[in-house]
Amino acid sequence: MRECLDEGVLQSYFDEELSTELRKDVASHLTQCSKCAAAATELESENLMLASALAPEFDLPVPTERLRQRVDAAIAGVELVGSTARQSAPSRSWIEAFAALFKFAPQRAFGYAGLAAVLAFASIFAIVKLRNPEVSAPGEIVETFANNRPPEETPIEASPSGPRGDDSTKASDTQPPEPQPTHRPVQPVKRRSGQSAVAREVRLLPGERSYLKTIAALDESIKANPDSPMRPALQAEYERNLALVDRALAAARTAAKGNPNDPVAAEFMFAAYQSKVDLLNTVADARMYNRR
Amino acid sequence: MSGQARALVESMPNEIATEAPSLSFDEAFLLHHRAVFRTARSVVRDSALAEDVTQEVFLRLYRHIDSTPGDELLRAWLLRVTLNVARNTLRGQSRSMTRDNEYHKSNNENGSWFAAAPDEDYERRLAIEEARRALDKIKEPMRSCLLLKQQGLSYREIASTLSLKETNIGSLVARARKEFARVYGKIGGK
Repeated sequence: MRECLDEGVLQSYFDEELSTELRKDVASHLTQCSKCAAAATELESENLMLASALAPEFDLPVPTERLRQRVDAAIAGVELVGSTARQSAPSRSWIEAFAALFKFAPQRAFGYAGLAAVLAFASIFAIVKLRNPEVSAPGEIVETFANNRPPEETPIEASPSGPRGDDSTKASDTQPPEPQPTHRPVQPVKRRSGQSAVAREVRLLPGERSYLKTIAALDESIKANPDSPMRPALQAEYERNLALVDRALAAARTAAKGNPNDPVAAEFMFAAYQSKVDLLNTVADARMYNRR
Repeated sequence: MSGQARALVESMPNEIATEAPSLSFDEAFLLHHRAVFRTARSVVRDSALAEDVTQEVFLRLYRHIDSTPGDELLRAWLLRVTLNVARNTLRGQSRSMTRDNEYHKSNNENGSWFAAAPDEDYERRLAIEEARRALDKIKEPMRSCLLLKQQGLSYREIASTLSLKETNIGSLVARARKEFARVYGKIGGK
């Protein structure tokens, strides 16, 4: 090695970071070159100075015991947090079960969709009714609900409420202890009693049949009044809504038939049926008020 | 750690092949806690803070034990984490100087630094302060190179710790050493 040593190479030599070959070269050069030998001596003395300067700090005791305890405690803390997070899962299960009601599951989603659709349509029809010039004030509506119900009942007796009355008596026949048959003439109560009967028996067929009959009757009554046709816009909206409810109903029914032992699925199917009944009822009522 | 992160970490051993047979956590602590603690102390310059840093570093090792490099470069990994944590700690500390002073105060009261006699304590403290002042004058990454070298790290480990080229370490150490000698001699060291 002829040329003088780079400071990095010299440093590497003293730090024993050179390959065996290079080390030999450097060693032989140091014996020949006084300049590099002087640099090497200086380096060694500086290394000594550095070591002694840093020694006081480096020689400070390392608190091994305390560090070990702290690290162990920290790890135990992490483990504890992790395990409590894992353990607390079962204790929260009821919350999760409740939350699961709102999670996406096909049959539930369709059920909720149906309910939401019906709520929306009901409110739309309510608005339409309120805006209708023939019903002049909200107070009058209350009045018609309160007083005019029995006389109204008679003209429809032939179509909507008559068959429905039959139908719900049939429904109560299938479930013998039906406690309040006297409330029949009042429509809302009738609807609710029909639902409670359905809720009480989770089996598919009987409840379903009564709903189907109710729907058929209502549908007939709506179609059976051709003398007062719906306004075209209203008609279109009604049909659109009906199609939507039908779709939701069909989905709920397939879900319920697919899971005959799942009470939730059955419940949603009945909810969808109820939605359709509600829609038809709303339409029938609206048409009736319009006609008056 | 969130459940997802935990799952990720737990799934790591299957996916990351460690080149060298890795140490157990206990072995790693026994071997390297001194280097971690000293490196932390050389940055934060406070034993209590250095303990905090050391705890955090080994907690991270515990969490990622399966994704850390094997034996050979484990110390470099640990010291890289140590430098990061220590610098972050320092940044947090300088934001609240009062807290820093309290640390020092409680530290001195506890006497956790020096168990020796007060005279020796004072002399030693002076010597440490002098060396630290000289080190402060050396620019990064030379200072870190020098400190890691003094802790006995190989050039390869230093390069890995500081994300530098291994071939540059020799001259970086040499320049740092010269600079230290110059400044320290001026300050009045021996």
